[in-house]
Amino acid sequence: MISITKIASKSLLRKRLRSILTLLGIAISSWVLISLLGFNQGYERSLDDDIDNLGFQVLLTAKGCPYEAATLMLQGGAGLRYMPDTVIDSLRSMPEVQNLTPMLMQAVFDPMVGENGTVVAYSGVDPATFPKMKSYLQFEKGTWFSDPTATEAVIGYEAAELEQREVGDLILVPEKNVELTIVGILKRSGTQDDGTIFVPYLALQSIFEVQGKLTSVGIQVGKDVDVTAFEDKLYELPDVQVVSMAQVKSTISNLVGTARVMVMSIALIAILIAMVGVVNTILMSVFERYQEIGIMKSMGATAGHIFRLIWTETVVLCLIGGLLGAAMAYGLAAVTESLIRYLLPYSPKGSLVYIDGMLMLKSIGIIIGIGVVSGLYPAWRAARIKPIEAIKKSEGEL
Amino acid sequence: MTIISAEAIRKTYQRGTEQIHAVDSVDLSIEQGDFLSIVGASGSGKTSLLHILGCLDNPSGGRLQVDNQEVFANSKAMPEKKLTGLRSRIFGYIFQSFYLIPTLTVKENILLPYAFKTQKPDPDAIHTVAKQMGLEHRLSHLPGELSGGEMQRVAIARAIVTDPKVILADEPTGNLDSRRSAEIAEILYSLNQDYGKTIVLVTHNPELATRARRVIELKDGKIV
Amino acid sequence: MKQLLIIALCLLLTPLVAAVGCDLNDPDGDIRRLFPESTGYKTSYRSIQREGGRALLNTIENRLGDRFSGLYETIDNPYTIYDVFSGTRKIGVIHGVNQKGRTGGIQIFLALDNNGIIKKLYLQRISSRNNRLYRAESFTNQFIGLKLEDFDRWNVARATGTGKVAAIRNPVANDPDFAAIMRGIKKNLILMKHFSQ
Ligand SMILES: Nc1ncnc2c1ncn2[C@@H]1O[C@H](COP(=O)(O)OP(=O)(O)OP(=O)(O)O)[C@@H](O)[C@H]1O
Ligand SMILES: [Mg+2]
Repeated sequence: MISITKIASKSLLRKRLRSILTLLGIAISSWVLISLLGFNQGYERSLDDDIDNLGFQVLLTAKGCPYEAATLMLQGGAGLRYMPDTVIDSLRSMPEVQNLTPMLMQAVFDPMVGENGTVVAYSGVDPATFPKMKSYLQFEKGTWFSDPTATEAVIGYEAAELEQREVGDLILVPEKNVELTIVGILKRSGTQDDGTIFVPYLALQSIFEVQGKLTSVGIQVGKDVDVTAFEDKLYELPDVQVVSMAQVKSTISNLVGTARVMVMSIALIAILIAMVGVVNTILMSVFERYQEIGIMKSMGATAGHIFRLIWTETVVLCLIGGLLGAAMAYGLAAVTESLIRYLLPYSPKGSLVYIDGMLMLKSIGIIIGIGVVSGLYPAWRAARIKPIEAIKKSEGEL
Repeated sequence: MTIISAEAIRKTYQRGTEQIHAVDSVDLSIEQGDFLSIVGASGSGKTSLLHILGCLDNPSGGRLQVDNQEVFANSKAMPEKKLTGLRSRIFGYIFQSFYLIPTLTVKENILLPYAFKTQKPDPDAIHTVAKQMGLEHRLSHLPGELSGGEMQRVAIARAIVTDPKVILADEPTGNLDSRRSAEIAEILYSLNQDYGKTIVLVTHNPELATRARRVIELKDGKIV
Repeated sequence: MKQLLIIALCLLLTPLVAAVGCDLNDPDGDIRRLFPESTGYKTSYRSIQREGGRALLNTIENRLGDRFSGLYETIDNPYTIYDVFSGTRKIGVIHGVNQKGRTGGIQIFLALDNNGIIKKLYLQRISSRNNRLYRAESFTNQFIGLKLEDFDRWNVARATGTGKVAAIRNPVANDPDFAAIMRGIKKNLILMKHFSQ
């Protein structure tokens, strides 16, 4: 019939515009909060996925070998170090190894690309084991190599698009004067693979005259293997370097960590601003209703009743704002996502902003918590109003 | 039966170094079913006295009993929490300005006291008072859509909906023209006559005062 | 701090990657080589989108006898035009296009005089193993003196022609890059006709 909650919600309709603006403030800050929390959660997940997509948990490289394409580009292949392909046999004999795939990176300067030429990298892979490990790779056109020694290439989506390459086209390996026939073009995967030219590693060995040599081996370890202990064991092999993906992940996480602290501070500031807005709005409406509150007290409202009334107003405002913000965060997740992707130095390919029911509930909980706290002061002020003062004040004014 | 009993009630205000004796040694006893009118010049202490009688304000001295409970004695007042209960149980207040809540409908405004009570309103109560105040067709309206007289009638309805023993009215017609004033006077008269409500009315309006059974006049805080 | 720098860099670099124009790698040197009597040049950027939109694209495709497709042949692809001067007198224009070849993109620059007649063909980029043969003067000189009207007699779809263009020899028998180069030249000439109006 009539309740404090009803009075509270209706009183929010008194100054509609003011309530709406306050609501918007809360909605926007909740949107920011939820998106950022979603990002925190999503980033971690897609980083995990990304690393799973590498297909192997441990990468064995020759000591001093650059394992990132970027480093390879910068050094123009000059810094390449090799290990003998006999290492594969040693690895196969280890019980921890479930699967492995040998790889050979090669890079050569192509004067024809770009303004001043650039280093083009070739990734030599084993057609028997590599596709199995990278099961997420899908073909736009064509398929894997016809033969482990074929002078053929499978290229990433971007490598194809930028040069308008099609299956059946050729790639001339500069200096070596060898033509590779494109047999497959991969679908866009959002990873480094998009720009990669894959060649059978045996073919690449003979083109670059590095027979019997590898630059790295990707290793999939068994389920129950202690990776750290296994890493130590691998170091017993001569002249190798072990890169575990857990390590890579923590490096990237650290890198992004700083950025995350920054965005979380922004969220905090947004929330503080919204909070000040809420306190201001409610306090203003308390002062405007001084007499009304006095009269309520004269008709039996206790300080507790008035406190609850004003506090409910705050919480209702925050609840609606929080829900609105949550809806915005959910609906605009794609927008937030591309924004973050644009800003981050490294972003995994999965969805960066992961918002689920649990997170929504938690966030709305936080917003309401904020409402509860912001409501305390105005509610306390209102509860202290003495009926006699409120009445005298207005009668005197008349 | 005596519902309000005041002995040597004083109210002093401090204004700078000056002491103002707004109410000065007032002895007053109000019986249940009484209709008392308080008149007097402006500043004579009518409102101050009414607020004390209605337990809205504490006296500076004297002794006050309401419904056989000690509200003020030996310079000590009843605790605020108990006072609040007493106020909502015994009194209904009507003021010169109506203090309706603009965002609530007439019906909700009338039932407002129940928002602060554990007890639920009698489902018929609203219709009874609405009929009594001639507001049956206004229940779903907002206060802004009413005339001044109607607004005061809503305020009266709100004051009586909880079935208080005593109705305190401070210049209830101060904001109304003479026709509406007469209407309100009629209502108060009927509340006393037909429903047995005790009424304490502060007014400047001699016509209104004459409807009362008893009239006291204040001058400088004293009954003359 | 480093983080901010990376973010700033990302913001700055992204727009540069988006456009796939065709510029001279060393404009000062290249223009002096293509127009020895030149004393200066002015660069301007055009796109089909801005010059005439869809209607113009249709006109161009009709005259080319083929559809535009792929990354280098979008309606908003930017084209760089170098107006070449000797003193205050304009003596010609240089314009390049990207053309899909069998071994990646081919960059085809034409130096045209004020009447739209080819003064020089310059293949800035061609990744084929036969690139020496295509860039040799024995091949490129065959184009000197030709103009758009001559190429109207070249069928890009079938890679055959009549008149003067029929006389041009493929330096590598049956190599598909020849057809690509012919198509690129025709495309270049058509674009120049519309952009110089
Ligand atoms: N809070 C206060 N502080 C100081 N003086 C006050 C205060 N309230 C009332 N007074 C003074 O007490 C005296 C009595 O005031 P009161 O309001 O009771 O008079 P009243 O009879 O109701 O007057 P009116 O007919 O104008 O309403 C006046 O002189 C007034 O100025
Ligand atoms: Mg008064």
